[in-house]
Amino acid sequence: MYSDLLHALPNVVAFANFAALVIGVLAGIVVGAMPGLSATMAISVLVPFTFGLDPLVALGLMAGIYNGAMYGGAIPAVLLRIPGTPAAVATTFDGYPMAQKGEGGFALQVAVVSSSIGGIASAFALMLLAPPLSKVTLLFGPSEVFWVAVFGLCSIIFLLGGNPVKGLISACFGVFVSVVGSDPIFGTDRYTFGQLELLDGIHIVILLVGLYALPPVIDLLETPLKTDTSNSDKLGTEPIWRTLPRMLRFWKTWLRSAAIGIWIGILPGAGGSMAAFMSYNEARRTSKTPNTWGNGEPEGIAASETANNADTASALIPALTLGIPGTAVAAVMLGGLLVHGLQPGPMLFRDNPDIVFGFMWQFLFGAILLVFLGGSLATNSFAKLLKLPRPLLGSVIIVLMLIGVYSIHGPMFDVYLMLGFGAVGYLMDKLKFPLPPVVLGLILGSFAEENLRLALRIGRGDWSVLFANTTSQILVLMTVAVIVGPIIKRRYFNKSANGPDEKA
Amino acid sequence: MKTTMKCAALAGVMILAGGMALAEYPEKPIQVIVGYSAGGGTDVMARTTAPFIEKYLGEGASIVVKNMPGASGQIGITEVANSDPDGYTLGTFNLPGMMARTLDRQADYDRDSFTYLANVVNDPNVIVTSKNSGLDTIDKLIAEAKENPGAITVGMSSLGGDDHFMLIKLQNMTETEFTIVPFKGSAPARTALMGGHVAMGILNISEVANFQEELNVLGVALAERSDFAPDLPTFAEQGVDLINGSMRGVVAPAGLPEDVEAKLLDAFTQLAEDPEFIAAMKATANPVEVVTGADFKALTGDLYDLAKEVWETTPWN
Repeated sequence: MYSDLLHALPNVVAFANFAALVIGVLAGIVVGAMPGLSATMAISVLVPFTFGLDPLVALGLMAGIYNGAMYGGAIPAVLLRIPGTPAAVATTFDGYPMAQKGEGGFALQVAVVSSSIGGIASAFALMLLAPPLSKVTLLFGPSEVFWVAVFGLCSIIFLLGGNPVKGLISACFGVFVSVVGSDPIFGTDRYTFGQLELLDGIHIVILLVGLYALPPVIDLLETPLKTDTSNSDKLGTEPIWRTLPRMLRFWKTWLRSAAIGIWIGILPGAGGSMAAFMSYNEARRTSKTPNTWGNGEPEGIAASETANNADTASALIPALTLGIPGTAVAAVMLGGLLVHGLQPGPMLFRDNPDIVFGFMWQFLFGAILLVFLGGSLATNSFAKLLKLPRPLLGSVIIVLMLIGVYSIHGPMFDVYLMLGFGAVGYLMDKLKFPLPPVVLGLILGSFAEENLRLALRIGRGDWSVLFANTTSQILVLMTVAVIVGPIIKRRYFNKSANGPDEKA
Repeated sequence: MKTTMKCAALAGVMILAGGMALAEYPEKPIQVIVGYSAGGGTDVMARTTAPFIEKYLGEGASIVVKNMPGASGQIGITEVANSDPDGYTLGTFNLPGMMARTLDRQADYDRDSFTYLANVVNDPNVIVTSKNSGLDTIDKLIAEAKENPGAITVGMSSLGGDDHFMLIKLQNMTETEFTIVPFKGSAPARTALMGGHVAMGILNISEVANFQEELNVLGVALAERSDFAPDLPTFAEQGVDLINGSMRGVVAPAGLPEDVEAKLLDAFTQLAEDPEFIAAMKATANPVEVVTGADFKALTGDLYDLAKEVWETTPWN
């Protein structure tokens, strides 16, 4: 197998194939940076065009776009508090405060280096460990996946923010949105009001763009005359090699987040956003200075950006070996592979080694290219956008949002829906309801529901099926630990803090 | 006088119309609406077929595939049913799904809304079991189902689809009972089978051809062995007369001009014999079985009756 890997290499660095990869990475960064345009969308638009292309050119474009977009999403997340892709939500937590402090340039450099590290780790996992890791995927049946979703929901309870009641209301709103559409088992319509467009549920990008992009734009326009010179001038355009030493202290976070990203990637369904949230939470939990988090801690960006790029290539492990995509993007890419006669399954590696392993190399090179292309592109061009007069910037973003949402499926209905969510988002923003729990509620709510119901059908209504095997039991223990752990810790710390006071 | 004028005008119009019809169809691009997203099985079928149909329609014909995904294909097919029957809008058509949707949901079309051109793909159902279930023949499976009614869990892609109807046929034929576990799509169902989370699965032959070592494939629901995977035995060979599958074809709105219909039918008929086409379809996991015109319509009628019967006896929502 490893000789196949080397055998595929020369083809990958052939001019056309490598050029495709470079173009893909650049296009991916641009797409990711536009609110509303996501990697999934870009690749779905691309797939029909690849019919006439050479397989490695087509796949190179796709690998490049995927890697680029996962980083590109961080650019508006840092500069404008608008996550360019769903996976960049966690990047806004610390990225935007940094930009406000005039450290936007450093924030973007941390993002690009971390993205690249995550991507490289993931590509190695795909190249070297695909067959054994696909066995791990097989361990996760419906009941296990249900527990992963529950674990995810519990571990990010911190997202509820300062006011847990408001946070819970936000989360419930997200879960409610996940219920809209046809029921996952019987196909009964729920809250669709006869609209065919609602039958498939509400696409995450529609919700994200509405909630996240519209309120900041309205903010921009509320004070139209003030040009935002405060942070754009001081973006900090230090060359990346000079800032690199300051990042080396994140190595633990890089390792941990890469592992989390790869793990989430090989599980079907969850994807980059969950990886980013979980790794952010883990990094904060183990940090010595948790109070700086959320106020511009560069390590937070490192955590979220490493994880959301670490799930790119690993999401292809179950996709290539089992035909189940780990993320929505991987699902579209499977289509792109099928177009070139590459049918997923154990035979794929034997029948088309040059193309499959070539594709893996492209993921690795794509991740490396990110540092070279991403760093300068982001700081030199996108950051200049902020120097635009506010009314112009606001209207450019609104146009991009409308195009992005329209291009998901094509009906105007989605656009109206997005504007509706925008109104909701604006109100929530003004009333200080946190937005991240809504996004997570939508992603994990439907995930938990579907798998719980499948598990109960397998158990024929017997709830003990949820605890029936070791993998489930381990996940239950982890869930309990993540809820109880902080409570115990707080008690213990309070006691030791109070100790001296009592004596005094 | 007036009448003569009218007649003349009418004749003129008819000549004009005739002339227009004669002016080589197609004179502009033909749109094929696919009710699923790009890269899905139906989309790949449409895009693989398109260049061959262009070739057989002759000089300058061009086909544009347009994806209108949503509501399991219902949005796309409704668009086809409501478009002008001029031969410039065609659509992909899935069976039994498109007929089942007229039963389990309100649909703005029925089986008379279309001009049936050709079914292109017939992907027969297969029954597979997980390696650790020990049920490696159809006889063992039926015996186990009879002994413990409902104890065997069956992974499949959704309710109201070909997999579901296949199971209903099996249950009726053998007087057995199974527990249905409807996953979102075949790939998750197949993975759950490989992981041993469900005991049995109903899939399609294209979905298991690459997984024969990881699963027990008990049989194929086809009258004769499939060219797609000729080493797999049929159920008929094993004494169980099960025939069922997922079909994908191309339709146009009802009321297509006769000459246009004839030209399209002719193109699809030539397609059936094209070895290059069959090879291209095999590479993209599409077992070909071309059925044109009236036969395709009759096939749709049969599948509608089956879906209706199932819906009336065991509704799925």
